[in-house]
Parts: sequence; C-alpha cells; structure tokens
Amino acid sequence: MASSFTLTSLNPCLSFRSISNGEINSTKKIMIKMSMITPSSKDGTRSKAMKFKGTQMREKKLTEMIEQKVVEANQVCGEDETSDECKVAWDEVEEISQAKADLRLKLEKLQQDPLESFCQENPETDECRIYED
Amino acid sequence: MAVSTVYTVQSLNSTCSISKPTKTHLGFNQKQLVFFKKTTTTTTRRPTTVITCSAGDTVVIGLAADSGCGKSTFMRRLTSVFGGAAEPPKGGNPDSNTLISDTTTVICLDDYHSLDRTGRKEKGVTALDPRANNFDLMYEQVKAIKSGVPVEKPIYNHVTGLIDPPELIKPPKIFVIEGLHPMYDARVRELLDFSIYLDISNEVKFAWKIQRDMAERGHSLESIKASIEARKPDFDAYIDPQKQYADAVIEVLPTQLIPDDNEGKVLRVRLIMKEGVKYFNPVYLFDEGSTISWIPCGRKLTCSYPGIKFSYGPETYFGHEVSVLEMDGQFDRLDELIYVESHLSNLSSKFYGEVTQQMLKHADFPGSNNGTGFFQTIVGLKIRDLFEQIVASKTGAPLEATKA
Repeated sequence: MASSFTLTSLNPCLSFRSISNGEINSTKKIMIKMSMITPSSKDGTRSKAMKFKGTQMREKKLTEMIEQKVVEANQVCGEDETSDECKVAWDEVEEISQAKADLRLKLEKLQQDPLESFCQENPETDECRIYED
Repeated sequence: MAVSTVYTVQSLNSTCSISKPTKTHLGFNQKQLVFFKKTTTTTTRRPTTVITCSAGDTVVIGLAADSGCGKSTFMRRLTSVFGGAAEPPKGGNPDSNTLISDTTTVICLDDYHSLDRTGRKEKGVTALDPRANNFDLMYEQVKAIKSGVPVEKPIYNHVTGLIDPPELIKPPKIFVIEGLHPMYDARVRELLDFSIYLDISNEVKFAWKIQRDMAERGHSLESIKASIEARKPDFDAYIDPQKQYADAVIEVLPTQLIPDDNEGKVLRVRLIMKEGVKYFNPVYLFDEGSTISWIPCGRKLTCSYPGIKFSYGPETYFGHEVSVLEMDGQFDRLDELIYVESHLSNLSSKFYGEVTQQMLKHADFPGSNNGTGFFQTIVGLKIRDLFEQIVASKTGAPLEATKA
C-alpha cells in the first residue's frame, strides 16, 4: 500500500507558472495520484533510515512495552473496569503506542534516524554504533 | 556607575519581564536595558535588576491535539508554510519533543508534566488530568518566551516516561505550544495570539488508531477500543471543553457521501472560524456571510467517486458567531485541488495556487487528499498572515526616548 506519484513535471514551481496565467486546462497534463499513506512494513524494524544501534534498541523496547502494557491493562481492568488504575493503564498503552508510531513516522516517512544529530556529536557512545541487519 | 539615557518602550508593560537572573545567559536578538542601581546605603546590596525586552515579536500559537506532539503533520505543514524544515534541536537530548525551524519553534506541552509515568501511576491520574501538569511553569515560560527571554524548559521523555534535564529554548518569531492543554489555563490562554483545536470524532479516532496500532504485536481491535474508552471520561472532562476557546476548530467527521462508511478513509472536515478575532479574517466561499452549498464536480471538473462537496455559512458555536467552511470527500487529482482553491476567498495566500503547492510539497503526509490537509494548510497561511499583521502593527509604534 505504498503511495505512488506520477509527476510529469518534477519541479512544482514550473507547473504553477502556467497556472498563474489562468490556464486550468494545462494542469490536466500533470497527473498526480495522492493516496492515503499507510505504513508499508508490517514489523517496522527494517528501514533504510535506521542507522544507529540506539534507535533499534528504542524501537525494540517500545514494541515490548506495548505488548507488556496491554497485558497489564487487561489484567488491571479485569478486576475493576471503572477504577483509576484501569484508566491509567490504558493511558500508558496509548502513550507508548503513540511514541512507537512517532518513531515509525520519522524512520519511514521522513527517512531520518532521530539519533542522527546526537550521534554526530557523540559518535563513540554505545547508542551510536552503526546498526547492522 | 549609571546609565545616562533611559529609553521607554511603549509596550513595556505587556511584553517585558523584569528578572534577577542568577545565570548570565541572556539570549541575543534582544534589546536589553540594564539598570545599575547606585546603592545609597552601603549596608544593603541590591542585586542588579535586568529588564529584558525584545521588540515583542514572538507570536504565540496554541494547538490542542491528542495525536502526539511536535511530530504531527499539522505542525510540519505549518512550519513548511513559513519556509524551512522543522527539526529537533541539534546535539541535544535525542528524545526531545521540540521542533525548530528558522522562524518557528514548536514545543510539546507534555514537557510540563509535573508527574512522570511512575508518579501518575501512583496518584492514579492520566496524562489528560490537569493534576499531572504544571500550569504555573507553563505560564511562566510561555510568558518569558513571548517577552523575548529564553527559558530552560524541562523535557518529558515519552520512551522512558521520565522527566529529563531541561533544554534551552530561545524566543523564535513564531512559538507554537502543542499538546493536550494549551487553552486549559486562563493565564496561558491570554498569552495566545491564535489558538486551534483539532476535534476528531470518535469514529474517526477509532479508525485512525486502528491504522496506527493494528500492525503492533500486542494490540488487537479490542485493546485499541478499550484504550479509547478508558481515556474518554478524562478527555471529555478536561480536553474537550477547550474547544470553546479556540479561534479555529478543525472538526473531523466520517463522510456523509458514502452511506454506512466506517473505514474513516473519506472524511468530512469542518473548519470552524471564530468571527471578530483580531488579525484573523475567515476564509469564505463566494459570498461572505451567506450560506452556500457547492459541488465543484460537473461539466468543468470531473471527479471520481465519491466526489467532493463543499458548504459554507454562518453558525453559532458555544455562543460565539462563527463561519464554517466544510469539505466532504477527497481530492483525486491536482486539478481538483487547484479548481477548489481558485473559488475560495480570503485564503491569505501570496500567489495563486499556493495552497495547492503546499499540499503537493507534502503529498505523502496523511490527509493530503482531503479536508484535513487542505484546512490545516489554509490555517497555516492564516497564521502567517496573522504574524505579518502583528509585526507590521508593532513596528509602527514609535520609541520615545527620555533622558534620565
């Protein structure tokens, strides 16, 4: 479910020169298919952008935490669905799920390893070892 | 030692802060007045008082959203309108939530959590609960940034759930505070030059979270549903009421074009714009203040199923007069986008097709083919317009010099 674009003109500025002349018809020549983006990899661990060990560790940790916290939440809420503990447990699940999704977004869509700039300054740390598949 | 000339800035009362800094780092790009008081008695030593005033350029925008922080597509679209890509601060904490571009700094309000994850668990409060947040610190620091004073802002680490050592935030031209509670505290609300609330309906939220989480081991349809349900009471009590204060609300609902659609792919998006907000002129369709219903697809424009439907009109929202621009459906082709853009007014675009161009720049972002991306982009242009108007009004104010 990857996105696909067909752009006859790679430079969007060029295409707009004709538009600014009021010629809507000429834009029909430029066809773009914009599709809703869904993550392309199911496990999310393999990505060209993942460069550093630290990022791989973070991703692994978040994945494990999601699993673990869902189990916890189900346990806690099994006892009392209306309790504060139940609310907090699911809130934690939400927080970690969002953190994982943010990391995935960075790696897949922005093609950036979040540790990039940190590792430029601190290349000798354990986190900044180059991640090998 | 004495300073012989004293300059009074007209906006002294509102934008300057008087501080007795213990650290000597005071940001650059500011006009600083340093008063050295000659002590008349030798027994008491008065600390030097520093009045730091910027030209008061920093415009503060509040964005209420429940979709994580600082990495959201709305933020990226917004920073893109101002030019330049927003990136995390270089060389700092890699888990920082802050985004910085040439003109804009976006901070995540989770950084003002007073309780870390363990603390919240102990107290039995969710992150949505005001008791988990330090509004006093939020207010102080936003106020400082607005008046041109850099701050050391804490960092909430979403991976570890701990509060990390602070990072330095220097006052930018545009300061965006994004998170769950930008408009919760009345004092912070007063500091906002513009505020936006992203109101996602329950059905759409569910569909989006399924898309987000279904690939994760550990998650299932039930766990996603349970998570939303469990957070709902706190959300309704503390977050939702903020929308009455917002200058613009982007409401995302399921489409009305496809009966029984529950996939959340085709969306109906409403841009609710408050009337009478300084420097903000709502976007309109054809004739301001009237009620319009518009289907652009027809002879000049062919659209694929389910098409596009627009409406515009005045309404009341929580007792305020608002104008609502609504789009249902999705864009399939570039020429649909440009056609629609050419029929809207008060977009605050700088050239014909700017909205379309911005959408194209981020065609891979979610929402690029429907009202969410479209209206987010338009709001971005509106904020730019607001910023330019504010700056223009401030540079118009003359400085009065008086001799001490």
